[in-house]
Amino acid sequence: MTNQPILEIDRLSISFFTRLREIPAVMDFSARVMPGEALGLVGESGCGKSTVALGVMQDLGTNGRIVGGAIRFKGRDLGQMDPDELRAIRGREIAMIYQEPMASLNPAMRIGRQLMEVPMIHEGVSRAEARARALDVVADVKLPDPERILRAYPHQLSGGQQQRIVIAMALMSKPSLLILDEPTTALDVTVEAAVVDLVKDLGKKYGTSMLFISHNLGLVLETCDRICVMYSGEAVERGSIGDVFDRMRHPYTQALFRSIPLPGADKTTRPLVAIPGNFPLPHERPPGCNFGPRCDYFEAGRCDAGPVHMAPVPGDDRHESRCLRFGEIDWDAPPVAAQSTRETEPGKVVLKMDALKKYYEVAANALFGGGEKRVVKANETLSFEAREGETLAIVGESGCGKSTFAKVLMGLETATEGDILLDNTSIGATPIQDRDTRTVADIQMVFQNPFDTLNPSMTVGRQITRALEVFGIGRTDPERREKMRALLDLVKLPREFADRMPRQLSGGQKQRVGIARAFAGGARIVVADEPVSALDVSVQAAVTDLLMEIQREEKTTLLFISHDLSIVRYLSDRVMVMYLGHVVELGTTEQVFSPPYHPYTEALLSAVPIADTQVQKQHIVLEGDIPSAMDPPSGCPFQTRCHWKNRAGKSLCESEVPPVRTLADGHQVKCHLSEADFAAMEPVIKIAAE
Amino acid sequence: MDSLTWLGALAPFFGPAFGIGAAALGLALVVQFIAGVFAPHHKPQTRDDGTLRQRADIFGRLDRLPGLIFAGLVALMLAFAGISLVVGHESGGIMGGMIQRFLPVWIALIATFGLSIRFKRRLGLYGKLFDSTIGMIGFGLVMFWVFTALFVGLFDLIGTHDPLAQVSGLKNAPPGVPVPADEAAFPTYLLGGDNLARDIFSRMVEGSVVVMMIAPLATLFAFMVGITLGLPAGYYGGTLDTVLSFAANLILAFPVILLFYLLVTPEIIATGLPTFMAMVLFVFPLVFLGVLIHARFRNRAGQSRAILALVLGPLVLLYLSVVNQAGTPVDFWPLDFFDIPGGILVVFVAVVFVNSPTVFRIVRGLTLDIKTRDYVAAAQTRGERPWYIMLWEILPNARGPLIVDFCLRIGYTTILLGTLGFFGLGLPPESPDWGSTINEGRKLLMIYAHPALPPALALLSLVLGLNLMADGLREESLKD
Repeated sequence: MTNQPILEIDRLSISFFTRLREIPAVMDFSARVMPGEALGLVGESGCGKSTVALGVMQDLGTNGRIVGGAIRFKGRDLGQMDPDELRAIRGREIAMIYQEPMASLNPAMRIGRQLMEVPMIHEGVSRAEARARALDVVADVKLPDPERILRAYPHQLSGGQQQRIVIAMALMSKPSLLILDEPTTALDVTVEAAVVDLVKDLGKKYGTSMLFISHNLGLVLETCDRICVMYSGEAVERGSIGDVFDRMRHPYTQALFRSIPLPGADKTTRPLVAIPGNFPLPHERPPGCNFGPRCDYFEAGRCDAGPVHMAPVPGDDRHESRCLRFGEIDWDAPPVAAQSTRETEPGKVVLKMDALKKYYEVAANALFGGGEKRVVKANETLSFEAREGETLAIVGESGCGKSTFAKVLMGLETATEGDILLDNTSIGATPIQDRDTRTVADIQMVFQNPFDTLNPSMTVGRQITRALEVFGIGRTDPERREKMRALLDLVKLPREFADRMPRQLSGGQKQRVGIARAFAGGARIVVADEPVSALDVSVQAAVTDLLMEIQREEKTTLLFISHDLSIVRYLSDRVMVMYLGHVVELGTTEQVFSPPYHPYTEALLSAVPIADTQVQKQHIVLEGDIPSAMDPPSGCPFQTRCHWKNRAGKSLCESEVPPVRTLADGHQVKCHLSEADFAAMEPVIKIAAE
Repeated sequence: MDSLTWLGALAPFFGPAFGIGAAALGLALVVQFIAGVFAPHHKPQTRDDGTLRQRADIFGRLDRLPGLIFAGLVALMLAFAGISLVVGHESGGIMGGMIQRFLPVWIALIATFGLSIRFKRRLGLYGKLFDSTIGMIGFGLVMFWVFTALFVGLFDLIGTHDPLAQVSGLKNAPPGVPVPADEAAFPTYLLGGDNLARDIFSRMVEGSVVVMMIAPLATLFAFMVGITLGLPAGYYGGTLDTVLSFAANLILAFPVILLFYLLVTPEIIATGLPTFMAMVLFVFPLVFLGVLIHARFRNRAGQSRAILALVLGPLVLLYLSVVNQAGTPVDFWPLDFFDIPGGILVVFVAVVFVNSPTVFRIVRGLTLDIKTRDYVAAAQTRGERPWYIMLWEILPNARGPLIVDFCLRIGYTTILLGTLGFFGLGLPPESPDWGSTINEGRKLLMIYAHPALPPALALLSLVLGLNLMADGLREESLKD
């Protein structure tokens, strides 16, 4: 292997030009990717990491331009190449994989044709040879039955399979550099784990260098050799994974790690530390250090004096930090603990699910209503209780029925069988228009997507006031206005926000308004549907804490729907794991996160990337994708992907739905495994002794 | 007195100047195109302050040439217009005369543009229109005709003669022909006379009033109908959607011209079909407003009733007056304040009837998309009624595409009115609307082209303006 880097980015600056002003997106960014090396590029949205990738591809659009520095690929400056030379390099030498697999594939072309195009265009090989190569690559990305896949159209494949095809396409001409821009964000956790595994293996097999862009520190830890942390258009720290994760030398990196829930964090004793303030807008960056205004170690007159440059950290291999004070800060000092709070004791049972079932009938032919009807079993015998002031996490991947459950609880759908009891009153069969105002106000919801949760054409204040009006709170307009302001205080937003339009708010602020709206009627049960999953890491912590704080004060029962087990472990009292409409495991957080597990829980735990080098995980990769709820497997819903299946007897798992078994007090598991097998399970996550 | 020429006394200078300018512009464009084919690839370079450096070689200069010539030509036109405003038709000829006659319109346009550009940051989507050149040109063209219609309709300015008055001897007279001194105040037929010896210029500006009265209003009604039906079809889906969509397709599949012929046939009018259709179609705005208000103030019963009564009361009276026509089968209401001329009512009904299905389909599609948003789910989970969600959560967020379509649709409606007039349907034969005048002019087109051209150009410029404005709005609304 030569010592010449594959990709060398040297003090790159990229700006976008609008009618009003020049907006610098990337400033003074340097990076180097050696052959066979994987570099992780980490940062929050808007920090310029995707712009760097587009800059490498020389694809910045009409108003983006490289204003300084150079990008050298194998020693040649990409900025000096003419379009023909660039065309020869793109797709052949540098391949890119984007976030949304469906958008990267041509829906009108068979997979085979799309794959064959790559070598046919770049290397001019014959059809037959291109096809042979396509078959090889499809087999390499571990897709079953390559012949059939090549004949398929993109829409006939699942999201995970599509992303594998995109990876296959990128690898068709054996590029020397692969750029992955959040390649797994659109996928489910267990599918993500498999795809990440694949990328890692293929990188080794083909010797490809990788530029891996992600907001997820855990993923970068699992895939990359080196890491570069970006903040507001600049690289703030870069070095090897081990150095940056264990011996970080930039306050932003440290703050980032303190705001993500790692094993050991706990909402009462070791709460997360959110980064104060907001991400600066590109044209409102502070003088000097960009992170200065949010930094704990900020020193006025020094940090805001002039541009800060990268400086090497002595003693480490190519470890650099953009901080003036990294030599002075005591990096091992424990975080100033945000006040730890008393744990609230769960009160009486407020909500009870009693063998709740929700089936949908789907007509085969929608237009004329004819044809045979098929039943989709979205929820299968859900039974659980939720107490006052308790956080119950509902965990599962897409299609597990958690959204259907929320709809039934809210009254947007009615239960097919079974019942929901709110304070011993049955509401399972009552649609929302027949519920009284009090019941409606009692059960409210916080939605997932901050950009969708508020009506874009109504002011923030108006939206909260409307909720107050509907819930019959306050008699006069001024009274309601006052109450609305109090709600803004509750979610820690300035009162002036009442007159703002949602588009003037950041994602985290919108989510706060969504929370205020949910609590407008004094809700006692709040369903939070992945309330922080679409937010940036530093904002997640703040919003999560806010939710916890309001819960403690109002003694709200929180049903926290999520697929992120780290955050679930951090904040929930009890956990319910769902798979294809079935509750496969239910118990206290401690019970669910330690053995014995349900096999699915075990796989989920193994799949979630954890940004901690101390953590050792058992490596469990699930085969295939989540089956469709339209066509569930016979017997145990998880039997198609379960790797414990042979232990319990194959025929049993394939023929019978397992019974609900109580393993310990309040710990239920839906599985055929024997007591002995359960007892033999080992913990998935082990924290190495420090 | 002699006939006026096009440029009058200014012709010796401006005639050749315009000619040379236009020729140079055409030549420069051709050269630029040919050079563009052979030019080597050029990478844009930036200066230190971030602005783009212009290309310095011969190709860069060729790129800039047409723009310079065009700017010169515009300056020349402005100079001519400025002089004409002062000297009028006496020295400025036909063009000068027309420019002077439109003086109130120019003043209004300059005031509108000045104020709008000054405050554009505070004017929302309307203000954004002034960020796009295309949008500004379109808006200018549209407002030109809007102001013309206003000044002609309300103050009787601009027009030089009575659009129906005939002056003997001026039948098919060429543009600029002098009018015998005792006949009228204005000494010329600026654009000549038509085959009944009426002033073409006056008829053209008078025609804008008819178009401006019917087209936007009919489009608005079509939107009310389309929105009131499209929202529930998209929101509820199911059988309602199937039935309404099928009906919409049925109307869309029916040949439009045949439908118009049917509607204006005296036998059909005698059966009262158009009035019955008017009854149905005109009730939609009432339903729309009623539901809109009720949904909003549902929780405050007293306030809701007061506002409903305040808004709907006068509207119901208006509706009954419009629908109730003496001499038709619909004649039951004693308090009939006014009658709309049968022709106009038929045109109105026909235009609304054929436009609303398209609007219905657009609204339905938008609703299908927007109803999956979280804020709609949030409204549902706090127990809002369906009509509140449709009208206050979904409709405002569908406004972008709807406004753009509204502009385009006024254009279509204008053309449709022209088509109707062209076939002699609906409006009375002496009506100065552009469609009818084009039709009249058509008959002698091979001998006298001048009577048909002005209304045709007027129609073209209005519809072009509406389309450009819609383009500008669409472009700007995407940029938010």
